[in-house]
Amino acid sequence: MATKVQTRSNILDGLDTSRPLLEVRDLQVEFHTRDGVAKAVNGANFSVERGETLAIVGESGCGKSVTSQAIMGILETPPAKVAGGQVFFHGVDLLTLPKDTRRRTRANHVAMVFQDALSALNPVWTIGYQLGELFRKHRGMSKAEAKKKSLELLDLVKIPAAKQRIDEYPHQFSGGMRQRVMIAMALALDPDLLIADEPTTALDVTVQAQIMRLLAEIQAERQMGLILITHDLGVVADVADKISVMYAGRIVEQAGVLDIFARPAHPYTQALLRSIPRVDGKGRKLEVIEGLPPVLTRIPPGCAFAPRCHYAKPACRERVPSLEVVENGRRAACLYTAEVLAND
Amino acid sequence: MGRYVIRRLLQAVLTIFLALFLLHYLTSLSIQINGNPAYAFFGGQITPTQEQLRVVAERYHTDHPCLKRVGDPCLSNFMDTLGRYANGDFGQDLRFRPVSDQVVMRVPNTLRVFAINIATWAIAGIGLGMLAAVRREKFSDYLIRAGTIISGAVPTFLFVLALKYLAGVWIGGWLRDHLGDDNVLSIIFRPSWDEAHPWLTVILPGIALAVIGTAGITRLMRTSMLENIRSDHVRTAKAKGLTGGRVLLAHTLRNSLIPVVTLIGLSLGGALGGAVITEGLWNIRGVGQFVFNAVRQNDTPIVVGVVSLVVICYLLFSLLIDLLYAVLDPRIRYE
Repeated sequence: MATKVQTRSNILDGLDTSRPLLEVRDLQVEFHTRDGVAKAVNGANFSVERGETLAIVGESGCGKSVTSQAIMGILETPPAKVAGGQVFFHGVDLLTLPKDTRRRTRANHVAMVFQDALSALNPVWTIGYQLGELFRKHRGMSKAEAKKKSLELLDLVKIPAAKQRIDEYPHQFSGGMRQRVMIAMALALDPDLLIADEPTTALDVTVQAQIMRLLAEIQAERQMGLILITHDLGVVADVADKISVMYAGRIVEQAGVLDIFARPAHPYTQALLRSIPRVDGKGRKLEVIEGLPPVLTRIPPGCAFAPRCHYAKPACRERVPSLEVVENGRRAACLYTAEVLAND
Repeated sequence: MGRYVIRRLLQAVLTIFLALFLLHYLTSLSIQINGNPAYAFFGGQITPTQEQLRVVAERYHTDHPCLKRVGDPCLSNFMDTLGRYANGDFGQDLRFRPVSDQVVMRVPNTLRVFAINIATWAIAGIGLGMLAAVRREKFSDYLIRAGTIISGAVPTFLFVLALKYLAGVWIGGWLRDHLGDDNVLSIIFRPSWDEAHPWLTVILPGIALAVIGTAGITRLMRTSMLENIRSDHVRTAKAKGLTGGRVLLAHTLRNSLIPVVTLIGLSLGGALGGAVITEGLWNIRGVGQFVFNAVRQNDTPIVVGVVSLVVICYLLFSLLIDLLYAVLDPRIRYE
């Protein structure tokens, strides 16, 4: 049996642990649709270290999920196409790997938790089968060994009575328990980086907090890198180390979580923060961001946020602001950052 | 699972009962409107005496007074019929031979036709549907879809006749000239069934019978696969780093089969009808040919007896399909 057991150390050659765990450079993802080319991700740059949590925040359709799927390499191609950029995992560009090597990095090095666990789990297989499959296919374990490992995982994510529940089907679990199963599945092969795409959106508020705590605990224990994708700034406030705010396929602001909450440097971040309901704001009208994000096949020239922006001036509609350093390590893509910072 | 099976069994019993009653009522009504079928026994050539008519009517159970009252459901007659069916007595043909004996003798050949038929559905229907979905919007997809439109539009009898001439006579003739009469290929391409080679000579008509159903199964399989390929759980399977083949077989195929199994069940009903024509045209000594000949000879007792049997078979088939459905989809089992 020992000869059959595969480890993950032999998947990638030339890993350089002095380089960041994950470093995304100028990532470009296009969708070829009937209405033309949609630039879903237009030059994303960010990095994540071991033990660090990066939150990518933005409205629906801003490109955050596409970014995560491009990192995983599970985009449907066509219609999607990674048109440019690099995704370095400890210095190895995942985008240039042979197909089979790339496949083996999934779950082994980079794993993913999806939004709606009911549809993300296969309805026709038991939880035990879907978990055990990882050990059987990646590690060459027998059914019995895989089952033992799966039970350990279910215990890790605190599913009560795991011994009985392992033979049940996804539809027999509650929403929170299903999301725990999803997390167990992502953690199975001890990945270095976990990407959680809106992991709590489909859940009750109380369950949301439990799941976030569970994720944070396991991350701290295993020193994983964690990318948390969400549209809800409130969810990430206590778990994220740094935040990248995305709008219309571009990153518009990047900073530590405290800086962002204290003093946003981009008008869009500021608007997002103002639209979080507040307890002390009782009786006041909830602020919303006027207008809609642009259609990705027809992004207006200049700054994509300009049509919805209170600070916008004619110059904003002429050129695309680049992501510039504002102050100690924080960056924003706005021509009038100084004004935004002053106004808070 | 147990409760599901019991519920489904009870439904099947009720359906069989209702179907047999409908058949009984239609037969009774036709006797009530058209008069004593005993005349048919004498073929219109001779005028039977009252005594002769009485004997024949008694033998075929058409002597009940209710059969003279138009619209009477003849319930007591129906109960008698059910009692005889329960004892395996499905009546006699016009030569006083028990219908059930002849059916039992012919069942193996019909099962052969259906084995080929279902194998064709499974291999061609499911296989081509999968291929079209995996290669969507490519040449093979268009070719398969065009093929399903053509094959779905050709009625079974036309296809059987065309196959008889094209494959049985032309290709078969060429094969027999070049390879000899006893070559396997020559036997397969015979234009009619041969008792000496009950399997080989049933392949072509079995495929012909399956063609019309294959079209629907292929198309549904393609759609179902496409729907599942785009589903969230397939994305998860990819994110788990599974190979493309495993994603396709373990996480797409099984899910996609659920609606297809239902269609196969429905198509079986159509194929039971198609088998009458196929067996008749290909001279396969099966149940279908039995009915085919009985219809041509106006042998009503055979038709009624066999149709009752077919109804029971069909309902058993659909029961089987429903159980298979529960095996494939755990959500059904636990409802």
